[in-house]
Amino acid sequence: MIEVKDLHKTYFMGKIKVPALRGVSFSVKDGEFLAIMGPSGSGKSTLMHLMGCLDYPTAGEYWIDGKEISSISDDRLAEIRNQKIGFVFQQFNLLSRTTILQNVEIPLIYRGVSLRKRRQLAREALEKVGLGHRLTHKPNEISGGQKQRVAIARALVNNPAILLADEPTGNLDSKTGQEILEIFNDLNRQGHTIVLVTHEKEIAEYSRRIIELRDGIILKDEVVV
Amino acid sequence: MILETLRIALRSMASNKLRTFLSMLGIIIGVAAVIAIVSIGTGARGEVTSQIANLGSNTININPGTQRGEGGRISRPYTDIFTLELGENIQNFSPAVQAIVPVGQGTALLISGSSNIRATVVGTAPDYQAINDYFPERGRFLLVEDLDVKSNVIILGSEVAGDLFGEEDPLGKKVRMNFGNRTHIFTVAGVMQEKSIGLAGNFNTQVYVPITTYMQKVANTRYVDSYIAQAGSSTDAKIAVGQIEYFLTRSLGSSDKFRLTSQDQILEVIDQVTNTLNIMLGGIAGISLLVGGIGIMNIMLVSVTERTREIGIRKALGAKRRHIMRQFLIEALSLGGIGGVVGIGFGRLGAGVIAHFGGWALVISTVSVLLAFGFSLLVGLFFGIYPAYKASRLDPVKALSYE
Repeated sequence: MIEVKDLHKTYFMGKIKVPALRGVSFSVKDGEFLAIMGPSGSGKSTLMHLMGCLDYPTAGEYWIDGKEISSISDDRLAEIRNQKIGFVFQQFNLLSRTTILQNVEIPLIYRGVSLRKRRQLAREALEKVGLGHRLTHKPNEISGGQKQRVAIARALVNNPAILLADEPTGNLDSKTGQEILEIFNDLNRQGHTIVLVTHEKEIAEYSRRIIELRDGIILKDEVVV
Repeated sequence: MILETLRIALRSMASNKLRTFLSMLGIIIGVAAVIAIVSIGTGARGEVTSQIANLGSNTININPGTQRGEGGRISRPYTDIFTLELGENIQNFSPAVQAIVPVGQGTALLISGSSNIRATVVGTAPDYQAINDYFPERGRFLLVEDLDVKSNVIILGSEVAGDLFGEEDPLGKKVRMNFGNRTHIFTVAGVMQEKSIGLAGNFNTQVYVPITTYMQKVANTRYVDSYIAQAGSSTDAKIAVGQIEYFLTRSLGSSDKFRLTSQDQILEVIDQVTNTLNIMLGGIAGISLLVGGIGIMNIMLVSVTERTREIGIRKALGAKRRHIMRQFLIEALSLGGIGGVVGIGFGRLGAGVIAHFGGWALVISTVSVLLAFGFSLLVGLFFGIYPAYKASRLDPVKALSYE
């Protein structure tokens, strides 16, 4: 359960104030598949950063699983990212020097899971996205679609409250992109809460609900039929 | 977790071997210097000590002092002050002196058959062999009777014997000695053992005759050139120096007229020299370690910048500040540690080469190895703190969008 209450974020470029979010409120129930849509500059990236606990809001509240996190410490925020949030990025953001298995293990390392348990959980997560046979490959030895599957496995491995996907198909051809979106669909059906950030209407339509942002405020919040 | 981080660190170092090596160079040189200095210092001191022991143990050389030159007179050593009686009296009045021998020295041409050779003639007494720990290989050394009757016997150093007689047995053979414008005939009574060349010079190119014969027949003088005294122990040697100094000052009227050289003094001078050397090399080691540390800091800062995105990813996946800090500290420590190990290897190699040419045994002390290794870790840690801190404070949003 996520609650965003009158969230503001203002950046300062020298002395000039640049408002990126100007009072955004909504809530996401467990098991929802939500898309946040808007052109660049609409504030959707900023919203994603705040929902991902990567940044602090200038004003407003952000509740995740009953905890308000807009004023907790840096390290507590890292803990919440580790346990409650799974990130999937447009750039995949895999560590190039480590194997696929080790990439998926990273969130478990920071959670303090033992080596043997880590191996097992990471392998299971990779099997879930259909990559159980490529564990020892390096990221540069697999295709873009496979990279994104690894990233999804990594995001899932700690069984987070929400999966935050930022333009997950932006670097993929449309066929591979659809495959990835299908995975999100499957995961949602299995009960995972998914927040998809995109600027493309077609992609947003894979979700069940679309929040459209424009100039830092919510333009539309509607269910997809 | 630590092991995991170490693996990550080693992997990132291995991915850029040349750069890693170059950044470790300062540490390598510094550590190698420390290892080499300690080893060379120990080896050289051991060598010098053994050379001094080679001089005979606990000996004190008594030489004439140097006259000040004034009023048109040139500064030169005092002559005509050391007599045979004075030598005996030194022993009588200095209880710490166990033995003392007079020495008279000159250069002569020795001729046997068609061979001739220029050699140092040493006029001395039987105790000379015990004091110098130097004994005949064949025949005998000088005897008290030789001195009493001023006999024309000569004992040859090993090289002189070889040069004059080759394979022949020199014992009993006659040798002609041209000294100044006079010629004497001597009978060979012994050949000395070979003695390694040390601080006291080459004994093997000398010949030995009774001091009385030397003074009266060869050099035609009533004086000897110097004395060599020996004490029973190094403590006694210190006491003996004091006693001899007191006695000679009183009997010669001035402490300027003689000069005492004991092994302690030689050791002191050598210690001073090695100390100076150690300070200098220690300074070099210190500076290299400092420069090495700066090298590590530089490369770590580069590494942090290059891996900004990686740091962002790790933070997004839940790394706390201390996780990032630990990762980069371990990397800096590994740089220092590996640099230290390589440096120890190079230091050992350098010390080995110098020991080979210096002719002493290679000694690498465990303490110096541990010290050097500890220092390199410390340098790595110290100079890694700032880059690691910087990495740990990166803003995840900015780090993730870093290209």
